[in-house]
Amino acid sequence: MYWNKSYECMPRENLQELQLERLKRMVNRIYHDVPFYRNKFQEIGLMPEDVKSLDDLKKLPFTTKVDLRDNYPYGLFTVPMEQIVRIHASSGTTGKPTVVGYTRNDISMWSELMARSLVAAGAGPHSVIQNAYGYGLFTGGLGVHYGAERLGASIIPISGGNTAKQIMIMQDFGSTILTCTPSYAIYLAEVLAESGIDPASLKIRAGIFGAEPWSENIRKEIEKKLKIKAFDIYGLSEIMGPGVAIECEAQDGLHVWEDHFIPEIIDPVTLEVLPYGEQGELVITTITKEGIPILRYRTRDITTIKPEPCACGRTHLRISRLQGRSDDMLIIRGVNVFPTQIESVLLEIGEVEPHYQLVVRRDGSLDTLEIKVELSEALFSDRISNLENLEKRIRDRIQSIIGVSAKVSLVEPKSLPRSEGKSQRVVDLRKI
Amino acid sequence: MIRQVSIFIENQEGRLNNVLKILAENKINIRSLNIADATDFGIVRLILQETEKGIEVLKKNDIITTVTPVLAAEVADDPGGLSRLVDALTQAKINIIYAYSFLPKKTDNAIIIIRVEDEVQQKAIETLEKVAQINLLDRETLLLK
Repeated sequence: MYWNKSYECMPRENLQELQLERLKRMVNRIYHDVPFYRNKFQEIGLMPEDVKSLDDLKKLPFTTKVDLRDNYPYGLFTVPMEQIVRIHASSGTTGKPTVVGYTRNDISMWSELMARSLVAAGAGPHSVIQNAYGYGLFTGGLGVHYGAERLGASIIPISGGNTAKQIMIMQDFGSTILTCTPSYAIYLAEVLAESGIDPASLKIRAGIFGAEPWSENIRKEIEKKLKIKAFDIYGLSEIMGPGVAIECEAQDGLHVWEDHFIPEIIDPVTLEVLPYGEQGELVITTITKEGIPILRYRTRDITTIKPEPCACGRTHLRISRLQGRSDDMLIIRGVNVFPTQIESVLLEIGEVEPHYQLVVRRDGSLDTLEIKVELSEALFSDRISNLENLEKRIRDRIQSIIGVSAKVSLVEPKSLPRSEGKSQRVVDLRKI
Repeated sequence: MIRQVSIFIENQEGRLNNVLKILAENKINIRSLNIADATDFGIVRLILQETEKGIEVLKKNDIITTVTPVLAAEVADDPGGLSRLVDALTQAKINIIYAYSFLPKKTDNAIIIIRVEDEVQQKAIETLEKVAQINLLDRETLLLK
């Protein structure tokens, strides 16, 4: 099922033609209307006319979260405020939030893409969508809301929290689709189980989850516990909000709506564009947005672009499930290492959420990586050789997946520091 | 069959002491101790006077423990005593994974703790039972020695 077949299944050649035409127009606008971009273009000696092909995109400057913050609140808007009909902001963990503004056309475009996304995940006009994303400055709630209205589904704008009420509404209103964060979905499932409610007795059939990274294991857990199909949705307020990319029924990567966004993957260190299939940082250019067009936004999200045609028939490129954040990336002997990669290796071997710590040292001119792993009772053996084999299995797996040799040390339970943030996961002792 | 308590510790100052203190504070007597060490961790193997209580207090303190079945054999404390035991197992093609001495208080004989593969444990018992000068001990008898 498609919402807008002619665009969603457009032959790639036509899609790229459309992208180029829209990119040229966008570059022209930001050059003339946004001093920030004009300065950046002048610094590197480029004019809007220099963009002649999609390939020229890689010559253009990046935009970062810091740029948005430096131009707080409205510095990067391209239209006067009377044309802005909505303002959203992303939570700033440090200092000021980043602010985005939408024109009437932007809201319409967002609604269209969100409607496409809902349909890709199986929704239709008959659907009753329980929207448990937060309504407010955060884009999640209103983004889904407008998409559902455009689609003609029945939207329940319950917003986040109040789990008892969520369950009551799910039972009484016959919600067929749940939209929320994956962690809230797990929590809901647990509360349902505690209340003795069999999810099979509910009408809920699918969930669209996003706004935080989640793993394939969590998907399986949600699908099993809630007896639904769980779809991954991607978005960020700097680009638009939810609905930048969505999983289709193939559940194998998220289609990026390329008639409005151009995705690229770069090496977060060299900033070079990487070929399709290689892992790196996702960079997105908005080519139709009016309120705040963004050129080559560095999302900090780590993923790969999958260029292969999808079974669903959509021609738009897919990105794979997010692998982590480039902010957490470590470079060890020239290899990019993400803590999430280590985590998935440990998960695979131990079958339980492991507690671990990465310690990076510089020994002479050589970087060394030590992975401290808390031993669990299930993995403990009375024999030294078994434990040494366990260390070796982890080491070999890391070598083959990430390509770095690491020392694996088993440590006692609860001996590693616990913290809410990720900072404790990595100890970098290199003095550079 | 003797229930040996095996404990995982990091190869670091104070870790063994931590385990010993927990047992001491709970008044659990250690009848025998053996430490195997790898580069950065070790396994402490204990025969405790009160096995179940020992495991309980160790687990309560987040110490990883497991119970390993081992054999206890009493042999004469003279030259050749241990050799007879190992001979019998060798002839039966039973591999000893590790062995160490138990410290008896009430006998002049030597007591050896032996760990063999789980699958051949029964065979090891049958083999040793046939040897005249070897006395296989059960848990109660061992802890009275």
